[in-house]
Amino acid sequence: MIVLGSTSEVAQAFVEKALQEGEKFEKIYLFTSNKETTERFARHIDVKFLQQSEIIELDLTKEIDYNVFENINSTLLFCAIGYLGEGTKEGLYDNKNTQRIIEINYSKLIPVINYFAHKFENRRSGTIIGLSSVAGDRGRQSNFIYGSAKAAFTAYLSGLRNYLFDKKVHVITIKPGFMATKMTEGLPLNPKLTASPKQAADCIYKAFKKQKNIAYVLPVWSVIMMIIRNIPEFIFKKLKL
Amino acid sequence: MKPNFVQKVTNWGNFPVVEKEMKSDDSFDKIKDFILTHNEVIARGNGRCYGDASLGESIFSTKKLNKFISFDRLNGIIECESGVLLSEVLEISVPQGYFLYVTPGTKFVSVGGAIASDVHGKNHHAEGCFSEYVIEFKLMIENGEIITCSREENSEKFWATIGGMGLTGIILSAKFKLKNIESAYIRQESIKADNLDEIFKLFEESENWTYNVAWIDCLQTGKNIGKSILMRGEHAFPHELPQNLKEKPLRLKKKFEPTVPFYFPGFVLNKFTVKVFNLLYFKKQTKKEIKNIVDYETFFYPLDVVNDWNKIYGKSGFIQYQMVIPKEKGKEGMKKILETISRSGNGSFLAVLKLFGKNNPEAYNSFPMEGYTLALDFRVNSKLKMLIGKLDDIVQEFGGRIYLTKDSMSKSSLTNYLRNIQNSKFVSLQHKRIINNNQGS
Ligand SMILES: Cc1cc2nc3c(=O)[nH]c(=O)nc-3n(C[C@H](O)[C@H](O)[C@H](O)COP(=O)(O)OP(=O)(O)OC[C@H]3O[C@@H](n4cnc5c(N)ncnc54)[C@H](O)[C@@H]3O)c2cc1C
Repeated sequence: MIVLGSTSEVAQAFVEKALQEGEKFEKIYLFTSNKETTERFARHIDVKFLQQSEIIELDLTKEIDYNVFENINSTLLFCAIGYLGEGTKEGLYDNKNTQRIIEINYSKLIPVINYFAHKFENRRSGTIIGLSSVAGDRGRQSNFIYGSAKAAFTAYLSGLRNYLFDKKVHVITIKPGFMATKMTEGLPLNPKLTASPKQAADCIYKAFKKQKNIAYVLPVWSVIMMIIRNIPEFIFKKLKL
Repeated sequence: MKPNFVQKVTNWGNFPVVEKEMKSDDSFDKIKDFILTHNEVIARGNGRCYGDASLGESIFSTKKLNKFISFDRLNGIIECESGVLLSEVLEISVPQGYFLYVTPGTKFVSVGGAIASDVHGKNHHAEGCFSEYVIEFKLMIENGEIITCSREENSEKFWATIGGMGLTGIILSAKFKLKNIESAYIRQESIKADNLDEIFKLFEESENWTYNVAWIDCLQTGKNIGKSILMRGEHAFPHELPQNLKEKPLRLKKKFEPTVPFYFPGFVLNKFTVKVFNLLYFKKQTKKEIKNIVDYETFFYPLDVVNDWNKIYGKSGFIQYQMVIPKEKGKEGMKKILETISRSGNGSFLAVLKLFGKNNPEAYNSFPMEGYTLALDFRVNSKLKMLIGKLDDIVQEFGGRIYLTKDSMSKSSLTNYLRNIQNSKFVSLQHKRIINNNQGS
């Protein structure tokens, strides 16, 4: 398994869930920009599941050397890379913030996924799971820079799924709503709408086993987002969302 | 939205409930930052202490320190971060033939919490407290420095932290020994006792058993006081198991776990319902003595089967009152305590009696001392404070003490036994309450 964004609590919970369910991986490739924390996770899965892994540094804000990835082979890629940045109120006119959000969530990330998608395509097998966001379903005033990057990511995954369909590679788009993770700690989230990393991992694993195309982590989000998507624009633009 | 870490926090008894700042992180640098930028900090594990021990002005939750570090499968030595739960340790150790030397009555406590409370199990008379098997731990102290503590290295900090209720720093990780088992099952004997004399005799006769515990029916009066069931157990050998378990003696079958979906309204739990519960519980066992084989979960963690069972006490919450009375006076003290409770009509749903063995004098902050210990659950209501006052007086009269990890309203003279923990950085609401009471009296 290839994990992009290995310090993500959802990614870690997914790895544990898969191993608990008895999935076998020769090796787990843990891509990360934070080696120290990832090393702790690597040791953890070694102790708990006798699972071998390898840590590969990946910093999307820097030049990427694809030669390093050459020997990496797997049939499952899990991408949890995401960067929230400042909301629009604080960060809209801060170009650095805007650029970072776009790079990490989209422009610098896509080539990396493409690189592995190519390998999957050549081998004619595999599953790619991407964590997008409900924020990409419709741009809202509070975080539309992040939302637009995620919208682009959602569109990319959809196209990739379409492109790889007859090449026997499956692509799953996951849309988590609120999640209780480091990214959102301390925010006043409604507990009924908020999933724990473990809950999210269980749901994603189910989507993986059933080879779903698109899955919301908590079912209520598909309803909420359906409503939000269908509010007429002339009303939507006046809402404080 | 800017983060605001203030939130409602409460422990297992749902009493007291406070609104305080609580944060969690797995980065040691961020934990250091948290310590340095807050005046009063207290660590919180899984909040399974009943009262206010892991509450404070600024709470650091170890929830995210949840990684294993190493497992020496040959010698049964495991190392993990402090937020790892005992249930998670068992998950990987039992199939390998290892069990915890000492476990409390719930497996949902963190390793850090087990050390900070120096927990005991049904085997204290035979195997002591959790600390006996701790090899070393890493502690973050008030300046953010991480020190390794063991019997050899930083040994004063090692012993002060054991049973030290989080007042010496934040335990980050720990290494401890596990015991060999050959099956995940327990050979159990349950024996009915009609009164206090009988149960005390049974305890003394059972000293050779590794695990002993008794459930007492608290609403009995007169000559029936002390009516109870003693359960004693040993880890079973594979050859003792029934045929269908012999093949995979270290594996348990997965069970259904019911959940209490909401807080029960207060009136559900009253003298009548407690009486019915106890009647059913004690009537269930019609024979004087039953011998059987049960899985370790049933034997050690009967209450864990129902998730969130603490909610049956309603929104006002409950407390657990656990005291120990020195052995020679044990029977006399327990009799007085049980009489007082039965007279008060404030029935306890759960009453557990155990016999502690000799304490380890090095672990001077640990609660256990040689004697009888009784743990009782009481729903919080307006009359409770008075009952606790009366019980405290009896405990005092007999030279006993109260278990800090369960305390939330006892007399401070019974809970101020901690030594070498003066520290202005790590402060809990419990510790403040105890100190203030001391000055007041
Ligand atoms: C159903 C039930 C049965 C129980 N049975 C028993 C029993 O048989 N025997 C027994 O001894 N106890 C028993 N207990 C009590 C329980 O074992 C202790 O309260 C234990 O400390 C709880 O661990 P926790 O991780 O939930 O810690 P918390 O409740 O969060 O904290 C308890 C104390 O430990 C400190 N602490 C926690 N983590 C750290 C850390 N990383 N570093 C420093 N300090 C820390 C806190 O500051 C606090 O003082 C029982 C509790 C329940 C709910």
